[in-house]
Amino acid sequence: MAIADIAVSPLPSHQPHGWRRWLFATNHKDIGSLYLWFSFSMFLTGGVLALCIRAELFHPGMRFFRPELFNQLTTLHGLIMVFGAIMPAFTGLANWMLPLMLGAPDMAFARMNNWSFWLLPPAMAMLLLSFFVPGGAAAGGWTLYAPLSVQMGMGMDLTIFAIHILGISSIMGSINIIVTIFNLRAPGMHMMKMPMFAWASLITAYLIIAVMPVLAGAVTMLLTDRHFGTHFFNAAGGGDPVLYQHVFWFFGHPEVYIMALPAFGIVSQVIPSFARKPLFGYTSMVYATSSIGVLSFMVWAHHMFVTGMPATAQLFFMYATMLIAVPTGVKVFNWVATMWEGSMSFETPMLFAIGFLLLFTIGGLSGVTLSVAAVDVQLHGSYYVVAHFHYVLVAGALFSLFAAIYYWFPKMTGKMYCEGLGKLHFWWSLLWFNVTFFPMHFLGLAGMPRRIPDYALQFTTFNQIASIGAFMFGLGQLIFLYNILHALRAGKPAEQQPWEGAQTLEWQIPTPAPYHSFTEAPELEVFENGVIVTMHGGKHG
Amino acid sequence: MIRSPMASANQRLLGKLLLLVLLMFVMAWGMIPLYRVICQVSGLNQVVSADTLAPATAATPPGRPIRLQLDAMVQAGLPWRVSPMADSVLGRTGEFIQLQYSLTNNSNQRVVGQAIPRYLPAEAAAYVKKLECFCFSQQVFQPGETRRFPVVLVIDRALPVHISRITLAYTVFDVPGQGG
Repeated sequence: MAIADIAVSPLPSHQPHGWRRWLFATNHKDIGSLYLWFSFSMFLTGGVLALCIRAELFHPGMRFFRPELFNQLTTLHGLIMVFGAIMPAFTGLANWMLPLMLGAPDMAFARMNNWSFWLLPPAMAMLLLSFFVPGGAAAGGWTLYAPLSVQMGMGMDLTIFAIHILGISSIMGSINIIVTIFNLRAPGMHMMKMPMFAWASLITAYLIIAVMPVLAGAVTMLLTDRHFGTHFFNAAGGGDPVLYQHVFWFFGHPEVYIMALPAFGIVSQVIPSFARKPLFGYTSMVYATSSIGVLSFMVWAHHMFVTGMPATAQLFFMYATMLIAVPTGVKVFNWVATMWEGSMSFETPMLFAIGFLLLFTIGGLSGVTLSVAAVDVQLHGSYYVVAHFHYVLVAGALFSLFAAIYYWFPKMTGKMYCEGLGKLHFWWSLLWFNVTFFPMHFLGLAGMPRRIPDYALQFTTFNQIASIGAFMFGLGQLIFLYNILHALRAGKPAEQQPWEGAQTLEWQIPTPAPYHSFTEAPELEVFENGVIVTMHGGKHG
Repeated sequence: MIRSPMASANQRLLGKLLLLVLLMFVMAWGMIPLYRVICQVSGLNQVVSADTLAPATAATPPGRPIRLQLDAMVQAGLPWRVSPMADSVLGRTGEFIQLQYSLTNNSNQRVVGQAIPRYLPAEAAAYVKKLECFCFSQQVFQPGETRRFPVVLVIDRALPVHISRITLAYTVFDVPGQGG
């Protein structure tokens, strides 16, 4: 295979300029970039809210915020990070990379792609606007549990509408991903040979399509309970608040994997590239990812062990939850086996991938601890839970996103980021992440409840450690921002193939990726995990 | 415009996926009746349930005498006086037993109270079936008002034989925010 084989199309390249390029964007790379920048800005917004929370918790007693405002901060931090930062970031990456990795000219429905992005900013604006309406933003936690969410002010209505719009956006994005993967793969890119990132995106997209409508249903019921006299969740009218929890977590648990599976996909691309070995156990990875997707629908009530479920149901959900550790364990061992005897080098993407592997495993183990119903009764609603899900969402999802950005940045922009700053960003994040969240395990074990603005004196020291860690972690993300901005402006030109071991299709095209790539599909011979053996043809516009 | 085969394949898949979205939205609403049915069938989450005496069969023991000790008290600091009209009553299992309690509001304000029954031994609670009781609802008392309440109950004949004496004790609590 040779790069020179690819003829560059003689057609004039159509590339709109100015604001039209972005507002009317139909190019998957433009939309991907929009998604990534938007999610990064939401990451900073949610991060500022998190720092407000940590500032309040630096000392016991009421320091900066009224308790109602504190509750709004925790609620909006969760909603913004989940729906504004992590999910759009993964959709953005899928937009950018899937056509390149599969040999497709673009996403299947380009105009729908435009819509699915441009619904996000108004939805997030509504969510943020709710801080300034009478009664403030939603304050019942990101889960919006009834009966609190039935009682709150109009901030809750704004939140409900924002969730509707976000849901429509992510459903449209997912439909695009599924159709692209099924129908637009280049000849030779069989399903059981395509990159794990594509598999993970495919299963994630199915999860989104299956559960986002359920969330939409749940919040619609909240809305009718609030304004139209229904009593779905109002006990006084014959409804049941616990029912809300069932409907919510039927969405909520697959949602956890919506934020985890794409991370697994990214790591499955990065680790083989820097271990210079094919991914160990590709087929088992595909089946593990699928079975995690299926199992995620059967475990929702492990979030509800303290609602008075019968012991039989508790045991069912406990064992089903533990069962998820099996396919997840398969993946972890496969990644370790991929590195085993590999010829490894430790550039920034690999560092973040290994950081992911270590810390996500810690988060997974605390998850298994929480799955034990008898233990969960003690730990439910405590900081142990906060520690657990930040290990899987920050060190899991977020670290994998950093790995992905550093990994694909040269291909996206044609520029090389500063490796030294990247490594500093990694080690800084690794250190302060652990300083922030590791003490929370002990706070939770000692009985500190989550979502409170004040706490008992004996928790002071560990809260101070966590607050210092959080501010330093937040500061470190500016290194990342600087690195990206600096590289965009004055970065060294990236090579066609910046990573020696990267062999998937996106590395076979020029750097930076042409605005219209694979306008004519290539003929491929593919080994597992999207590794290209030979490529013929394929034109870029 | 003639659609390419690829475009129509995309449209077909789009249609199927939209159908899935619709189905899942409907399912969210379907979870409501499903939840009710599951709770009803499994007997979970039933706040009020029909109570019955154990069915009379040849194995059911005949009625036997039982002594009911009656007691009552008031949450500390409340202006109520509650007392049974008799210290104890002798009854038989399987037969109606009628008791009387007297409640007085000693304050010059309207008060609302709720009585909570308690049984000793606690094991007996499952066998005392009340047909009428002032503890079934909140009671409103005008200033200085005194009222007598009947309590009608049946003690199930399935009561374990080692229990021959049951203490029935009421505690009256105030219902905050409901007083005058």
